[in-house]
Amino acid sequence: MVLLRVEGLSKEFDGLKALDRVSFTAEEQEILGIIGPNGAGKTTLFNVITGVYPATGGEVSFRGDSILGKKPHQISRLGIGRTFQIVRPFPNLDVETNILVAYGHRFYPHLWNSTLPFRQPDIQKEIDALIESTGLQPYAKQLAKNLPLGIKKRVEIARALALKPRLLLLDEPSGGLRFEESVQLMDLIRKVRDQGISVLLIEHNMQVVMDLCKRIVVLDHGSKIAEGSPEEIRSNPRVIEAYLGKEG
Amino acid sequence: MLIQQLANGIAIGSVYALISLGLTMVYGILRILHVAHAGIYALGAYVGWFSFRLIGDFWLSLLIGMAGSALAGYFVQRYLYSPLLHLPRIAPLIVSIGLFIAMEETFRIIAGPHTLTYNARVGLGDLSIGNFQLTETQILILFITGLILVILWAILTRTRTGLAMRACAMDAETTSSFGVNVNAIIAINFLLGSAMAGAAGVLIGVYDNQVWPTMGSIPAYKSLAIVVLGGLGNIPGTVLASLVVGLAETFFIGVVAIPFPRDAVAFIAMILVLMFRPYGLLGKA
Amino acid sequence: MMSGYLITILITVLVYAILAHSLNIITGHAGQISLGHAAFFGIGAYTSALFYTQAGVSFWVAVPLAALVAGLVGIFLGIPCLRVRDDFLAITTMGIGFVVEAIFLYIPFFGGAMGIGGINLPHWFGREMTKSEYFFLILIVFLLLLLLDRRLGRSWIGLAWSSIREDEQAAEAMGVDLVRFKVLAFVLGSSIAGLAGGFYAHFLTFIMPQNFGFGQSIVILCMVVFGGIGTRWGPFLGAIILGVLPEISRPIMEYRTLVYGVLLLAMMRFQPGGLLGEESILPKMLRRFQSHSSEKG
Repeated sequence: MVLLRVEGLSKEFDGLKALDRVSFTAEEQEILGIIGPNGAGKTTLFNVITGVYPATGGEVSFRGDSILGKKPHQISRLGIGRTFQIVRPFPNLDVETNILVAYGHRFYPHLWNSTLPFRQPDIQKEIDALIESTGLQPYAKQLAKNLPLGIKKRVEIARALALKPRLLLLDEPSGGLRFEESVQLMDLIRKVRDQGISVLLIEHNMQVVMDLCKRIVVLDHGSKIAEGSPEEIRSNPRVIEAYLGKEG
Repeated sequence: MLIQQLANGIAIGSVYALISLGLTMVYGILRILHVAHAGIYALGAYVGWFSFRLIGDFWLSLLIGMAGSALAGYFVQRYLYSPLLHLPRIAPLIVSIGLFIAMEETFRIIAGPHTLTYNARVGLGDLSIGNFQLTETQILILFITGLILVILWAILTRTRTGLAMRACAMDAETTSSFGVNVNAIIAINFLLGSAMAGAAGVLIGVYDNQVWPTMGSIPAYKSLAIVVLGGLGNIPGTVLASLVVGLAETFFIGVVAIPFPRDAVAFIAMILVLMFRPYGLLGKA
Repeated sequence: MMSGYLITILITVLVYAILAHSLNIITGHAGQISLGHAAFFGIGAYTSALFYTQAGVSFWVAVPLAALVAGLVGIFLGIPCLRVRDDFLAITTMGIGFVVEAIFLYIPFFGGAMGIGGINLPHWFGREMTKSEYFFLILIVFLLLLLLDRRLGRSWIGLAWSSIREDEQAAEAMGVDLVRFKVLAFVLGSSIAGLAGGFYAHFLTFIMPQNFGFGQSIVILCMVVFGGIGTRWGPFLGAIILGVLPEISRPIMEYRTLVYGVLLLAMMRFQPGGLLGEESILPKMLRRFQSHSSEKG
């Protein structure tokens, strides 16, 4: 079943085409890889899907309904969680409170509900469970700014999971991590998928992408140049050219 | 009558441009609301006045005033703002407000609370054609601001430094990855912007024929309003907004007698523009 | 019975404390910079004064009306400012302060430069309240506000504010409606400032535009910054210190404003957290003292 459908999506900045008629779909319970050289438009794609930037053309629908033109907070409440390329947990809040902010998405739309206290035993139980399943127990009471990068990325994922999302957009989760850290993070991402959540994964580390994804979309200069299984992508001449052309 | 109003408006608007440009350049590169910029402007007027008293030459006093302001601006950037850049943006803003208050008080304590006359003449004389009249100081203002704006424009568009300045305003991080010394560019921004504010201080001192401790108060708020009108950090927008405010002030006060002080015009314009064009006259989302 | 001088200082400090806490909601909790807080203080004072002197409305109705009107103006002005980039609020609130003061000063209805007189202390039990009784009335209001502040801090609203203060883009990606919660903070803070204005007007008995200018906004901001932005007791401490300072600094009257400016500058440059901020001198000394005494014990 199709969860997210992107059709002919375009985004221009001052005449520069950051996204040029990009189309793809993400199915339920799959990890879809999004790769491409630097400046290919991957992060812009995430920002347009989540409503940070308005699109210049095209359509994005989530579970059959158009989400283009909605604000980021509305889109997140529909069940799309995300992380950021440069991690941004709330630095002066502890891990637990970071997660609580996202848990509150069901209270924020109603002013009266928003006045309720956020420390409640049943909510605490759910947060504890989430902290445990993401392996964050040792850090629960620590301020996010004091944590190492790998844990910060984990906090971002846990926080996004507190939105009870159907779709998670992860922007380079393994970027800057040591090998063991990224292996652990990939385990977490698999676990997330097994809970029935789909993942859009932007990744630079090819090994990680080939490992995790059954399908991959390749962007270059804002356009989709290929889509297919890891094997197909690996042998696709346009993809090789895009990467070699950049680096060679 | 109309041409006269136009000339008056452009003269006053171009001084606003001189003050506001430094502010918008600083915002463009550091994202700081540099309230103390108006203190630098008043400092320029005082230094100019003092050196005029000593040497009696307007042109030299103008240059010394500009140099004094430029130096002060550099020190503010180096020792007050730079160490605070990692903090939330309210920190440098509050430092800036504190500095501005302290500067005004220092002027009052050192030079006295009264106004000092800055009666500099260069011997041009007034220009009058029929009913139309340009005073000597208006001619000076138009000439000097015009010259400074052309120089600034040339620096920004024709030199490598100017290119680096514009690039830094767009994205300092990326610019530094191209091997540009961002700290030097920031310092040049402050030097140039503050020198322009100093020139504005001297020109207003001569135009109003007085220098006084709180002469920066109204420009402090007004130049911020102009910078917002122009679209924070947008240089052509700031020049346009300055002229619009200068003209609006002379026209509204001269033609339509509104029950407000002229200094409120800039703010009313700003609030209206924010409601309908939230990113300023030339700003983009 | 307390002396008249002492009670005057106490009431002034309390009014400032309410103001500082109301600004702390906007700037400390939600991270939005307002440089025109005194305008809402003034709107409250003038609303209450006009209803009281022109319409014969009693104190007990006029002061809540002051809070209501200040809050409504806050909604009207807050929405356009808060829709756009964060720095716009600082500048537009400064402009609002300027325009509001000009309105009081230039429109005859508001009494012009002479201001409005003949505003009295409230009546109860068939007589006028004494100043001491009025002090306790304001004290109760202040304590209620502290309770409200605490309650909000523990609610989802408080959490949403923290997230906005920490990182707007991340906050909205977590379902926080930025405009709604920023406007809420701005309106609540403005409305409480209006309430303080009502109380202040009836205490001063006559008000002038100058009481509510940019300088006053800076004094309020100074108190919050000095005590510690976003801390629970910082604004109160700031209001006490900077509210009493002018009284004890009469000998250096000439340099008072200079001291204010330098204090503001030095505090932010070297102790950006304020006196009670997490990484500042006072809490550090307190912690050292605690660990020291626990080692002994």
